[in-house]
Amino acid sequence: MFDAQRQHPVAALANAFDIIKANFITILILIFVGSGGKQGDYTLYWIFGTFIALLIWGGISWLRFRFSVNEGELKIEQGVFVHKKLYLTSDRIQVIDITAGVIQRVFGLVAVEVKTAGSSSKEAKINAISRKEAEKLKKLLRQGSEQQTATVSGEEKANKTYTLDNRDLVIAATTSGRMGVALSVVGAVFSQLDQVVSDEQILRFIETHLPNFTSFSIVAISVVGMVLAAWVLSFVSTIITYYDFEVEVREDDLHISKGLFERKQLTIPFNRIQAVQVKEGILRQPFGYAALVIESAGYGEDQGNSSTLFPLISKQRLRTFIDEVIPEYHVPVDKRVQISKKGLRRYLLRMVWLSLIIIAVVWSMVPYGVYSWLILPLMLLLGYQQYRDAEVKSGEDTIILSWRLLKKTTAIIKKYRVQAVEIKQNPFQTRLDLSDLIVHVASGNQGRSFKVRELLEKQAATYKHWLSNGNNELQQPLETDSYEEDSPSAIE
Amino acid sequence: MRTSPEHKLSKSAIKAWRLSTAIACLFFILVPLFFWIYNTFSPNEMGFSTWVIVSISVVLLIVSGLIIFFLPEIRWQHWYYQVDEHEVDLQSGIFIITRTLIPVKRVQHVDTRQGPILRSYGLADVTISTAATTHRIPALDEETADIVRDRISKFARLAKEDV
Repeated sequence: MFDAQRQHPVAALANAFDIIKANFITILILIFVGSGGKQGDYTLYWIFGTFIALLIWGGISWLRFRFSVNEGELKIEQGVFVHKKLYLTSDRIQVIDITAGVIQRVFGLVAVEVKTAGSSSKEAKINAISRKEAEKLKKLLRQGSEQQTATVSGEEKANKTYTLDNRDLVIAATTSGRMGVALSVVGAVFSQLDQVVSDEQILRFIETHLPNFTSFSIVAISVVGMVLAAWVLSFVSTIITYYDFEVEVREDDLHISKGLFERKQLTIPFNRIQAVQVKEGILRQPFGYAALVIESAGYGEDQGNSSTLFPLISKQRLRTFIDEVIPEYHVPVDKRVQISKKGLRRYLLRMVWLSLIIIAVVWSMVPYGVYSWLILPLMLLLGYQQYRDAEVKSGEDTIILSWRLLKKTTAIIKKYRVQAVEIKQNPFQTRLDLSDLIVHVASGNQGRSFKVRELLEKQAATYKHWLSNGNNELQQPLETDSYEEDSPSAIE
Repeated sequence: MRTSPEHKLSKSAIKAWRLSTAIACLFFILVPLFFWIYNTFSPNEMGFSTWVIVSISVVLLIVSGLIIFFLPEIRWQHWYYQVDEHEVDLQSGIFIITRTLIPVKRVQHVDTRQGPILRSYGLADVTISTAATTHRIPALDEETADIVRDRISKFARLAKEDV
């Protein structure tokens, strides 16, 4: 038994940091905007004051937070203004995650997150307790359910683990496609730069240090500089996220742990996996590397429940990896359909329109924007590659959709996991007998959809029919567990 | 493409949609109203001429008249649905034609919905939810809606018991 008790006092600090982390971008913007005025001197006081306020808030919520375990039932009381009581019975609990963020690590503590199939999983988070207590709590909560015996026997066998070694981590970071996010951050910082440095200072700097440069090369240099800064940012963030990445294959679930400062651990039961995606980024494809992502249902994670199964894997190893970790997703292909010549036209045209818009914007707003015309051939090349990469394959009970926006994505979907199929046609497509095929699977609360453009209408219709008409299939025993997705009791 | 699904929506859907579009079009009135209010409260030289306001109102009136008259009818003409023991088949869209197939065994729940406008015409929407998506068959007769809802739910149950 676990009597009602508070967390470790460090929870107050952890609570405060949780709030900061959740609103990090807002805070960053506020600081930038706030420091713009003449009273820039007060910024520090502001930051300091806010932090104190958050600490007080964290302290109060620590005071209000009590948890106890009674006969396999976890009870959590919390709430600063609104008092909340949460009861979780152990057989409803799916996943108990023990993580350690920076703060917890400093004090040698851990955070425990209890997740059920339903939503609102964020509520059941105990922010700071000692590792011993956490293990005790986990044991108590696992006792009631049979899962305990299953995992114990599973753990006795040597579980296969796959790790990402440092060399691969560096490659992953170098080629990570996170440039987009990073670029916007860098852009935001650059746009605020004139508040710190005045124009005259910049001019003087240019005159003294770069006397021979024309304004063209300065524009070019700043573009290159921004891209470089974005790259460094994405490099660092990838290293932080995927440091010491490890996948452990257990009897009926996958256990993933990762992270440099904050160790994250996820447990994904096999029967929750809805689809597998192979993502080949533009920078990775030439070197034959890809990332593996799985969609899972009923597991409370942000962003529609995509979780990285492996951040970087070479194409040769990919096949054996899938064979060993998720063997049911390795299926011989007996039918494949590619995009017809008619479709190529529309792939290219879309790129032409897109680049014309970009060129128009850049040309009118940026000095030397004329050079943006250079992107037109690049975009056409991309369009052609999109056309080449798009295809639909099928075999047995599986459909495999491939398409490319920038990175090439291949989604492997079991037929019995498909929630709905859609065919879309706009008037131009109708004229050419083309249509888009969209397949929906469950993932998180909203589900996720996969789309292949410009298939021949007949082929799309065939696939649509094949996918939705599953009654004459052999896979019926498998289908049972997919039905019970929403009832939490389905987990043995 | 396979032939369109066989059933059409209730004919009185057109009337109900006309009414709801008309109500939506009322918001157009806000535009000339805004100009008029601006005119009365702003200093004299700054205002818009009566001309502008009148012509904007006329244009808006014509546009909303066309929308109210034609759009519901066209929309109705393009809506088809069909429910059988394997799948729910929907087709809709005027320019972009969307054809959706929902395997009946994926259906989580079905419900019928009725707003005040639909109720006054004796109509109801049927909403079909799967784990990933939500689909709607709009404006069926109340009885048809009930039948469709019960049928889908029955087929869904059957499919599950089958396995």
